[in-house]
Amino acid sequence: MSSVMNVQSKPTLTPALLARFTDIVGPKYAITDPQMQQSYLIELRGLYPGHTPVVLRPGSTDEVAAILKLANETKTAIVPQGGNTGLVGGQTPINGEVLLSLTRLDKIREVDPVSYTMTVEAGVTLQRAREAAAQADRLYPQLLGSEGTCTIGGNLSTNAGGIAALAHGVARSHALGLEVVLADGRVLHNLNKLKKDNTGYDLKNLFIGAEGTLGVITAATLRLVPRPRSVETAFAAVPSPQAALDLLGLAEERTAGGVTSFELLARFGVAAVIDYDAKSRDPLREPHDWYALFDLSSQARTGLRDVMEEILSEGHDKGLVIDATIAESLEQAKAFWRIREMFSEVQRHIGAAVKHDVSVPVAAIPTFIEETNAVVKKLIPDARLMAFGHVGDGNVHYNVIHPVGADTKKFLARWDEISAAVFGVVKKFGGSISAEHGIGLMKRHILPKYKDPVALDLMRDLKRLLDPNGILNPGKVL
Amino acid sequence: MNEQLRRAPAPDLLPRFAAIVGEKYAVTDAATLAPYLIEGRDLYHGRTSMLLRPGSVAEVTAILKLANETKTPLVPQGGNTGLVGGQIPLDGELLLSLTRLDKIREVDPSSNTMTCEAGVVLQNAQDAAAAADRLFPLSLGAEGSCTIGGNLSTNAGGTGALAYGIARDLVLGLEVVLADGRVLNLLSKLKKDNTGYDLRHIFVGAEGTLGVITAAVLKIFPRPRAVETAFIGVPSPQAALKLLNLAQEQAGGTVTSFELIVRDMIDFAVRHGHGVRDPLGEKHPWYVMLEVSSQQEEGLRDSVEDLLAAAVEQGLVSDATIAANIEQTRAFWHLRHVLPEVQKPEGGSIKHDVSVPVAAVPDFIAEASAAAQNLIPGCRPVPFGHLGDGNIHFNVSQPVGADTTQFLARWNEVNAAVDKIVLKHHGSFSAEHGIGKLKRETLAKVKDPVALDLMRGLKRMLDPNGILNPGKVL
Repeated sequence: MSSVMNVQSKPTLTPALLARFTDIVGPKYAITDPQMQQSYLIELRGLYPGHTPVVLRPGSTDEVAAILKLANETKTAIVPQGGNTGLVGGQTPINGEVLLSLTRLDKIREVDPVSYTMTVEAGVTLQRAREAAAQADRLYPQLLGSEGTCTIGGNLSTNAGGIAALAHGVARSHALGLEVVLADGRVLHNLNKLKKDNTGYDLKNLFIGAEGTLGVITAATLRLVPRPRSVETAFAAVPSPQAALDLLGLAEERTAGGVTSFELLARFGVAAVIDYDAKSRDPLREPHDWYALFDLSSQARTGLRDVMEEILSEGHDKGLVIDATIAESLEQAKAFWRIREMFSEVQRHIGAAVKHDVSVPVAAIPTFIEETNAVVKKLIPDARLMAFGHVGDGNVHYNVIHPVGADTKKFLARWDEISAAVFGVVKKFGGSISAEHGIGLMKRHILPKYKDPVALDLMRDLKRLLDPNGILNPGKVL
Repeated sequence: MNEQLRRAPAPDLLPRFAAIVGEKYAVTDAATLAPYLIEGRDLYHGRTSMLLRPGSVAEVTAILKLANETKTPLVPQGGNTGLVGGQIPLDGELLLSLTRLDKIREVDPSSNTMTCEAGVVLQNAQDAAAAADRLFPLSLGAEGSCTIGGNLSTNAGGTGALAYGIARDLVLGLEVVLADGRVLNLLSKLKKDNTGYDLRHIFVGAEGTLGVITAAVLKIFPRPRAVETAFIGVPSPQAALKLLNLAQEQAGGTVTSFELIVRDMIDFAVRHGHGVRDPLGEKHPWYVMLEVSSQQEEGLRDSVEDLLAAAVEQGLVSDATIAANIEQTRAFWHLRHVLPEVQKPEGGSIKHDVSVPVAAVPDFIAEASAAAQNLIPGCRPVPFGHLGDGNIHFNVSQPVGADTTQFLARWNEVNAAVDKIVLKHHGSFSAEHGIGKLKRETLAKVKDPVALDLMRGLKRMLDPNGILNPGKVL
């Protein structure tokens, strides 16, 4: 496959080399005690147990540069890590690589509300970044379930999506400038606040979404947007995914960028949350097969509620909405969103799930769900199917949950088989096998099957260009 | 062929290139070539050994393959509206015009995407989107002749960038022919795709030096139901900036354009622009053209009026008029669009297309104006542009009655002084026009050396034989 990438990572460091790395950050921030390493090595899904001779926690860009310089000279493999919330194993040292944690680079260097920008270091958590923007009466529009833990560096390295991408784009669209330490320790200073800069090739987008395999992002200048003056949240029962899509079209037509989130939820998931979570109640009286949960935002202080009501009533007249409720208060809006946010947790509770984070052109979503259901049912007739997600982005989380009473181990053993069936349909629609989570370790082996061969060639060339010694997150992505 | 043409291919190669596109589309006749070789500012007079006008991606592929094998340099060109000479063959290179690749392959209003070939004229793309009740928001003065391929290769900006972004932000997918003739197919309609490195953005803004864009999937948007356009007199750029922030917070819609114009430019436009009238009764030192869009058919005018009233109270606005009808709106935009051309009748003009952080625009304008006047007493700085993007066309007209040639001889000196102030404010010396030939030397001087190194690395990787637009950008 990708021969150039298969660098032999050294399972252990010589004591002398370990001492040199330790010298850079100081003994306090070079963690070798396995107990203290634990939280860096286990990821949420428990799929990839990592091990490392040392967790390095640099406190400055200079220290990161010194670490990479030494790593490059000694051909020591490094795995960069943010908040360790990645879902595809990209942040885990699976072959005993040195772990480079960026969490101590946690300064908010500047918030500039007039220019609508904010400059933060890689280790700042998403939640802190959002709070800093809010304090200046601005919005940083990235929104993820893991915001309390995940970091800006990780968000950018994985090009994170989330529930606000519909109006404001994915992480890539938020970054105006980057500071990146290259594999050889040189620092690329590209931290500008400029919305327009046509002085040469775009370099920042090489590092965004590269999952730490091409360089280490140490800081970013992010684009802020005005803070909305009013938000309305609706929970609507819809007859089908197609109706949800048409309802979205109607809402966008009425508000343009005003539909800030639009999620499709299947009854199976909603019912499971209500059943499992004591704090969640069914927002509607009767059960329905499909729901749309969505937010409208506006810079106008008044009038948005009327718009929401019009959208729902027109949707009802057109047969797109069966029943709906608009949140009466912020608490109620939060309760609606809690149902959506509990989806991941409740799945872990239900049992084994084969998960897919895929995207197709927006218009193809209904057919995609139908066809995928059919192929999966053919493989495992009693499988419980759960499709939900950011339909406005064409992004569906398509999860297959083991049949009631089935042996979960046997079920999970069919992961690749199930995935291949799902991805077959994705490919047919010109979709993506990883919409927002990335490739990491999990999808590395199947990437060549779905990616344009010329694109793969260029990716390998880029890897060679930027990391000739293959020290950066080896065995991930490529 | 003139033997001084350093980059002209051996004469025996020309028939092989001509055979790919057919005799009709392989042009060597000087009269037919002329419009491809002269650009808007008359800074560069091109010389080419042959113009090739391929009619398909397969023909582009065949041309590049042959060019790469024979190390024949070529210059890709769209609508020939570039302002930095990037599209001009200067030394006998083959000229590869993409204008025959002019199919709109698909408009998909349910996915809000449109797939266009490189040679589609921007205005045709806008019209195709409008026919599907959608908006393609890229808007440039040259939209009647510039092409999608050129827009993407130069990462064009324009007046819609404030709300919708620059060309780069409007691209979902690309089809690119690489230097060796391989086709990179990234024509996806996906809004989210995290399967590996982003390759699109390498080619967007690369000015044809890394590959030839042949088609793109573009984002389209719901068409606004209400648009209000106001022409506003303001006391200073600082006041304009505060007005911008106020408008973004409470205009009751999306601020889709926010253009700052200095008084002298209004005078130029009234003097030399066809059918231009001063929109306001009194003279003001600075003007703002504000456009707010909304999906609500009603209510926008009221909120724009409220906004302007609040701004008057805060001393940010001296006088304002909101277009009462579509003709008046067109008249306002006409005034904005003639600004580039009305400078010529005033004599020599030394131009800068720069950007600084939005908050720094007022200081930048004050400092750059002082620097220019210090160098050339009596010169007339006439800044205008996209304040909301921090992008100012900082142009300096010659002193009244001065000798144009002598004035223009000081181009580099004035550039250097202005660029110094741009860099002091952490700005860009080419905000939207690119590097091309014009700013190549400046780039080498002021760009972060690590960034330059990576750029050179990319160039070597993607065009090892250096056949793509040599001598441009790098």
